[in-house]
Order: sequence, then structure tokens, then C-alpha cells
Amino acid sequence: MAEARYVYCIVASPQKVKLGKIGLDGNRVYTIPYQDISAVVHDCNAKPYESKDSEEVKNWVITHEKVVETTWGRLGTVLPFGFDTIIKADKDKGAEEVVIDWLKGDYQNLREKLHKVKGKAEYGVQVSWDTKFISQLLTEKDEELEKLSEEIKSKPKGVAYMYKQKLEKILRGKLEKEAEIYFKEFYERIKKCIEDIRVEKLKKEEEPWQMLMNVSCLAYKKGVEALGEELDKINSMEGFSVRFTGPWPPYSFV
Amino acid sequence: MAIDINEDNLKHGLLGLVIAIVEIIRDALKHQALRRMEGGSLTEEEIERLGRALEEIDIAIDQMKEEQGVSDAVKQVRDGLDDLVDDVLDQIINPEGWEEETKLKDI
Repeated sequence: MAEARYVYCIVASPQKVKLGKIGLDGNRVYTIPYQDISAVVHDCNAKPYESKDSEEVKNWVITHEKVVETTWGRLGTVLPFGFDTIIKADKDKGAEEVVIDWLKGDYQNLREKLHKVKGKAEYGVQVSWDTKFISQLLTEKDEELEKLSEEIKSKPKGVAYMYKQKLEKILRGKLEKEAEIYFKEFYERIKKCIEDIRVEKLKKEEEPWQMLMNVSCLAYKKGVEALGEELDKINSMEGFSVRFTGPWPPYSFV
Repeated sequence: MAIDINEDNLKHGLLGLVIAIVEIIRDALKHQALRRMEGGSLTEEEIERLGRALEEIDIAIDQMKEEQGVSDAVKQVRDGLDDLVDDVLDQIINPEGWEEETKLKDI
């Protein structure tokens, strides 16, 4: 007995629609409407999709994303949910009823959110810099560091090592300060082009590259041109690199 | 941190963990040595001895990692620890946000 519903997203559509066997493991995906919004679901058991096989999990996640994209294309504005969002039946209510009660209870909130993302898409922006290159620039411009750098060449091994540690410590401090300044600057420049922005966690990169900024942007398809231009400018700065992805359904703005 | 254990990588993983800890202690040593030097309480000769000793430790650790082929394992452990610390800090800074995240996974 299918005591639960796997939820892919909410869509701004009142239609009771079957989307076909496009769900995880080929499950039939369909909509459960409440007034002018619907939940996009497939019937499932009341336990999460888990697997030790990372390929299997990867395929599930890809399928999940495809269902959200398909819904977006066919039915309208979507509020995507993350992978493995499952609504279970209550002791006195079936799963379908629980879904409808949830849509009913959260209706205002969901409609507001749908309205907020209507006509827009999510874009990912990651800016990284070459810490080796930037460190060199910073050293050249700084008297104290240049002096230290020179002294290191003429000192005996042990002292040179300790001076090098000191140099690296000062450089780390300067890099941190520069990173903050650049972050703030880029953030303002990017924010001007788009409708909304979320700051995400920085990802680890291979040395000497270091991620400076990781943001999710919500933009109209037309606003993306301005964003692209701004990012091109940043990317062409020496020692900087920009990764620009999208359009995605607005996962980060739910 | 998910750990996938089998006989082959158990020794490997353990060694990676041990050396990661050694590196962290080494870093603390460097930090302290630097502070003493900057505090002005060391003679040039003492600084020389300190620097040489620390450099030898660096070389020994690098050699160990290379010989045992655990450089990647050590990096993984240290990156994993960094992520763990970040998560704990997030929890402390924003306990409701963290609670919300874990709740959403099981409505």
C-alpha cells in the first residue's frame, strides 16, 4: 500500500495532470491540486530513498531534477523541493489527504513564494582567485613584505625558515582582508543586476585556487545579460576566475 | 563524513588520521614558535635552532606521507575536520536554521 507521497515540487497550476512514468525508479508522476496550486508527486512507501550505491543515488537526484524541469516547462512556475522530501499518511488520514491539508494550511505562504519566483530562474555564481598570484601581487606592493622577502635570502637556514613563517602569516592576514573587500564589492555589483541573492557555503578548491564567493542569484531571463557582463569583467581580472551556471529552477529561494 | 571500510583502506585511513593529527600539532608548534620570536624573547641563535628543528619536522612529515602514499588521505581528513568544525559553528550560530534543515527532510 502506498502510504506516502514523494514530493518533487509545488507548481502554480490548478490542473490535475499525469506527467507519465518519469519519476524515481520509473514511478508515475502526477499532480495533486488545491485551488490554483498543485503538488507534483509519485506514490511511494513511507521511508526515504537511501542506497549504498552512489551511482543509484546520483541517478535518483538527476531524475528528481528532471521531473522539476519538466514540470517547469509544461505547467508553469515551480517551487522545487530537495531530494527525498516525503509526506507520510497520518493515523486517520491517507497520504493524499495529508498533502491537500498541507497545501491548504500553507496556501498563502506557497502562493507568495510562487509569485516571488515567477518568470525568474536561479543562477549560480562562484568567484575564485589564485592565492599564489595574488600573494605575489600583495608582496610586491607592500614595503614590509618586500623587505622581509629580501632579508630571508640572506639569513641562515633556521632564521630564514622562521622569517618565512612570519611572512606567510602576514600574507594570510592580508589575503583575508583583500578577500573580504572583494567579496563586498562583487556582491554589490552582482546584486544590482538581479532580483534576489543568497550566500552559499564556499567549496574547497585545488591549491593555489581558493573560492572567494558562492552565491545563488534569482533573475529574470533578461537580467541575466547584465549579470553576464558584470561577471565577464570580474573573470577578466588577473588572478580571478568566475563559474556561472544556470538557469535552474529556484531551489535556493523556496 | 561517510567512511567506507575494507581491509585495504583501513590501515591507510588510520595512518591518514594519525598523520593529520601530527600535522595539526606541528602547526600549533609553529604558531607558538612564531609568537615567541615575535615577542622578542629569543636570541638569533635560538631562532636559528627553532627554525632548523621545525623545518626538519616538515621534511620528515612530507617524507612519511610520500612513502606511505597517504598524502590524499591526510588532506581528506583535514578537509573533513574543517567541514565538521564549520557545521558545529553553524549549529551554534543558528540553531533554528539547522533544526529547520533537518525537519524538512522528513515532513
